[in-house]
Amino acid sequence: MRCEEVWTILEEEPTAEFSPPVREHLKVCRTCAAYARDWRLVAAGLHELSREPVPEASWGFAARVVRRIEEATAILRPRPEFVEQVGRRFVYATLMLTLVLLLGLLLPSSGPLRSPAADDYYLVRPETVSARAEVALGEEFPDLQEAMPLTFTGGSERGDR
Amino acid sequence: MENPRPEVAQEKEWIERSRNGEPEAFGQLAERYQRRIFSLVYHFIRRPTDVEDMVQEILVKAFVGIRTYNYQASFGTWLSRVAVNHCYDYLRRQRAARVTYYSDMSEERQRQLESRFEQPDPGGLTPEAQIAARDLVGKLLERAKPEDRIILSLKELDGLSADEIGEVLRIKPSNVKVRLHRARKRMLKDLKRLREGK
Repeated sequence: MRCEEVWTILEEEPTAEFSPPVREHLKVCRTCAAYARDWRLVAAGLHELSREPVPEASWGFAARVVRRIEEATAILRPRPEFVEQVGRRFVYATLMLTLVLLLGLLLPSSGPLRSPAADDYYLVRPETVSARAEVALGEEFPDLQEAMPLTFTGGSERGDR
Repeated sequence: MENPRPEVAQEKEWIERSRNGEPEAFGQLAERYQRRIFSLVYHFIRRPTDVEDMVQEILVKAFVGIRTYNYQASFGTWLSRVAVNHCYDYLRRQRAARVTYYSDMSEERQRQLESRFEQPDPGGLTPEAQIAARDLVGKLLERAKPEDRIILSLKELDGLSADEIGEVLRIKPSNVKVRLHRARKRMLKDLKRLREGK
């Protein structure tokens, strides 16, 4: 008989009267004899543990469970006022956004509510360019500077306006 | 068509109402299964003062997750599964050792106790030997890996069959037997270590 077979029998019925082959095996196999002794001890302890009285639920246990469930789910479930408040804010935000978009589409492309008109940029340019022209020509050629028309610096026509 | 038994129909109604968010209906289910869950939890954690709180936590968890219950197993089995998972997490966090009578016994008394188990039937144990054996196994269970502790408790303390354990743990009955054998072997190995004072 193999040791594994003996262990299976021992585990299934540790306190049973063993068959002659098992008894023979236990006589000659010290490992199995030790296994049998230890498992019987553990099985007896397990049996004692299983006989221990299990604590009973105290009075009103189910009602307390229900209350605890209500508390737990109240935390998880958003309150109706909260939902209403969030919904109202969402509607206001959507309306504001729509209004801004409509204003953006309806307003003219220039004006006091827009960025400066494109022409204003050109007003600055002649000064810059003319300043550059002075530096480029220097004080050594005052005659040339006087003789040079403003149109030479570029964009001056608009600046003259 | 055959009508289902009234308690089965009643249970189904409570389950459906619980699924629709009625805690009172779940309270009825809790009342029906509380004994079973108390027994499971007590055998897993073995702390009488913590059992009730733990069972409450399990039942709240079960209510929150009741929509996942699909009637494939019985409601009791499903609830046991929730309890096992909850206790498994708890046991993983708490693997503290306990002071036991066995460890306080002299070596001679330990040997006397063990020699009683040389024979197949150790006969009637004295109250002292009963306490010692019980505390020894209590200590071994506390030192065991959570998965060993759970499977051994289900089999040896709650008296579930391999098929029932398989349903709760969602494994095949043949696998239950293999795991049980391994858990027992590890327990006996640990008994040796305990004897050697490790």
